[in-house]
Amino acid sequence: MDRRGYLKTVVSFGVISVTSFSLFKWFDLNKRVDPGKIWDKRAIIAEIAELIIPETNTPGARSAGVDHYIIDVLINCNPVRQQHKFYEGLEDLEDYALSKYDKEFMFCSLEQKHAVLQHFADHAAYSNRILNKINNKFLGQSFFSKIKSLTVEGYCLSRVGATKALAYDYIPGSFEACVPLQLHQKSWATK
Amino acid sequence: MIYITDKIKESSTYDAIVIGSGISGGWAAMELCRKGLKTLLLERGRDVKHIVDYPTANLSPWDFKYGPNHTMEEQTRNPIQSSSSDPSNKHFFADDINHPYIQEKPFTWIRGYQVGGRSLTWGRQCYRLSDLDFDANAKEGIAVDWPIRYKDIAPWYSYVESFIGVSGNKEGLPQLPDGEFLSPMELNCIEKHLGESIRKNNHDRLLTIARVANLTRGWDNRGPCQYRNLCSRGCPFGGYFSSNSSTIPAAMATGNLTLRPFSIVSEILYDEQKQRAKGVRIIDAVTNEMHEFYSNIVFVNASTIATAGILLNSTSSRFPNGFGNDSGQVGHNLMDHHSTAGAGGAHDGFTGLYYKGRRPSGFLIPRFRNLRDGENLKFKRGYNIQGHGERQEWSDKVYGLNGFGADFKAQLTTPGPWTVWMAGWGECLPDYNNKISLDQTSKDKWGLPVIKIDFSFNDNEHEMMKDIQNTSAEMLEKAGFRDIDVFNYHKSGGSTVHEMGTARMGHDPKTSVLNRHNQMHAAKNVFITDGSCMTSSASQNPSLTYMALTARAVDFAVEELKKGNL
Repeated sequence: MDRRGYLKTVVSFGVISVTSFSLFKWFDLNKRVDPGKIWDKRAIIAEIAELIIPETNTPGARSAGVDHYIIDVLINCNPVRQQHKFYEGLEDLEDYALSKYDKEFMFCSLEQKHAVLQHFADHAAYSNRILNKINNKFLGQSFFSKIKSLTVEGYCLSRVGATKALAYDYIPGSFEACVPLQLHQKSWATK
Repeated sequence: MIYITDKIKESSTYDAIVIGSGISGGWAAMELCRKGLKTLLLERGRDVKHIVDYPTANLSPWDFKYGPNHTMEEQTRNPIQSSSSDPSNKHFFADDINHPYIQEKPFTWIRGYQVGGRSLTWGRQCYRLSDLDFDANAKEGIAVDWPIRYKDIAPWYSYVESFIGVSGNKEGLPQLPDGEFLSPMELNCIEKHLGESIRKNNHDRLLTIARVANLTRGWDNRGPCQYRNLCSRGCPFGGYFSSNSSTIPAAMATGNLTLRPFSIVSEILYDEQKQRAKGVRIIDAVTNEMHEFYSNIVFVNASTIATAGILLNSTSSRFPNGFGNDSGQVGHNLMDHHSTAGAGGAHDGFTGLYYKGRRPSGFLIPRFRNLRDGENLKFKRGYNIQGHGERQEWSDKVYGLNGFGADFKAQLTTPGPWTVWMAGWGECLPDYNNKISLDQTSKDKWGLPVIKIDFSFNDNEHEMMKDIQNTSAEMLEKAGFRDIDVFNYHKSGGSTVHEMGTARMGHDPKTSVLNRHNQMHAAKNVFITDGSCMTSSASQNPSLTYMALTARAVDFAVEELKKGNL
């Protein structure tokens, strides 16, 4: 039985105490994640990023290559624990789609994909602020919150995002302290 | 130890030596060179030439593979410096592995080991001290009296401001004297609104644009500022003052400057017969060879903590406890401003207004506490509040904006509500127990003893932080802000990067290291004009004061030299 299966069994039988569960999880989360495993999920990461920032009258996350950015930053700039949490979140999302629609996430309709992601958005955090803080500190940001923040960052910093969806002023040359907002005014891409 | 032949010795002799090429060292070198002295400027790090050595200056956000994120490798290797840097400027921060120090208590020592030092990455705010600051120690019986008053330094403030170019607004405040200003940058509409509310509700306070060494017009063949707000990468337009863009090229132009990068000063050499410094010993950071250089005058501008480290490492039979350390004060009285307490909030007005361009500065609410006796506050001295107003942009909305999809994207990419963030930059009282010392048992890769830092903020600073939180929140509330977030980030000392005080000025050689001319009491040809000379910290960003004291001290030193006193 693989570890995920084991965990599920244990949890479903409810025979493991909270403490030992945490210890188990702690140990497990400090082992290194194989970057190849995350790169293998590139397509689904791109799909989720596009759900978060879809193409509208401006390009979406996929055209901005945000999937590549997410994986680069996740693998190179995040602690191993956060990488685990992200990877497990992806697997949970796939499992959820399968159990809910009897289909691989990637084969779900747009509405179904949306509903799946909405489920994770709704359960991204504890309702308790202190628990969230503890959880974020020891186990890292939740999967949804992480993929959302990386998507936003990757998109808004990309050439496509910064110049098409936002207003990128490379060399302003002057400072105008108070100007009227234009119709359909976009945010400045950089501060 | 290498043998120095007469021939080498001759080429190793200069009129003056300056240790450190940061904001004060650059000034010392320029002033010495312009007064005709052959000057050797020693810098422990690599050379950084204006513009050509600013590799990231013209890059766009998408040119950084990991965006603003440091790699885990970088975070692990440089845990201290990476807390202050990002991938666009990390090449201007020292390497923590090669330059270790010991934190007896948590202390963030941010360093820029290269030509120009931290003048490349500084905050550029320029505020004069006043007699409220110079009088304070004597009046309250704290530490020792400043041996100078405002009138002694005022002309030198003007001299420096006129050279570096400071934009700002004259306000006529005794506690924050006006200077020689280029036209000010403008406050945006939320900042003006807050300012008007403060003027109406608090007759003792005002809000003004920050006074910054960013040029609002062309100045000294530099600038003007292009409002990119990417200063810490080095400015290809020379839009702000740094040693690299200004003082070092000016010193070079005289033909009197020799700049020697990769030169780690291990000690100042004492001449027993003449009872003064004869020069310095350096370790070449690349070859690991030792060299000695000799001069009539030595300016020490290595930055507060490093300067004290050099003095403590320079022992002789005359100075067993460190160069010029008869008072036992060298390394003590370390101070840093605190800047972690404040408040922020959002405002529902002005929704039809925005701004264009990225102003590289914010606003200032000059000190309004303890301006006169009898305010009955729980703390002495005061703070100024620095902050900025802006509309929420995508980076502010990452965690606040719920959901995902088309609506989320639309909100993410349009200007959000106006917000103001502000925090108090507070005075730190001098305390003998806050100190740096040398750990003779641990050595760095060049065999030099590692510096230990033992610093903590005390009750006075903590009480002040509470007051900052209260006054900040109150001013925002009265101006109609909502969702007011009162914060204290509780960062360790050093985080404001205003360390100072480790070789203080004073009247009495028994209780201070330097006299009123930044001249060492015990060795008349040694001058220290970096932050270590500060007798108290005041609450103003200190670099302008270091520059003014440097120009003043060079003027004095060269006069003394002419009179044959040095």
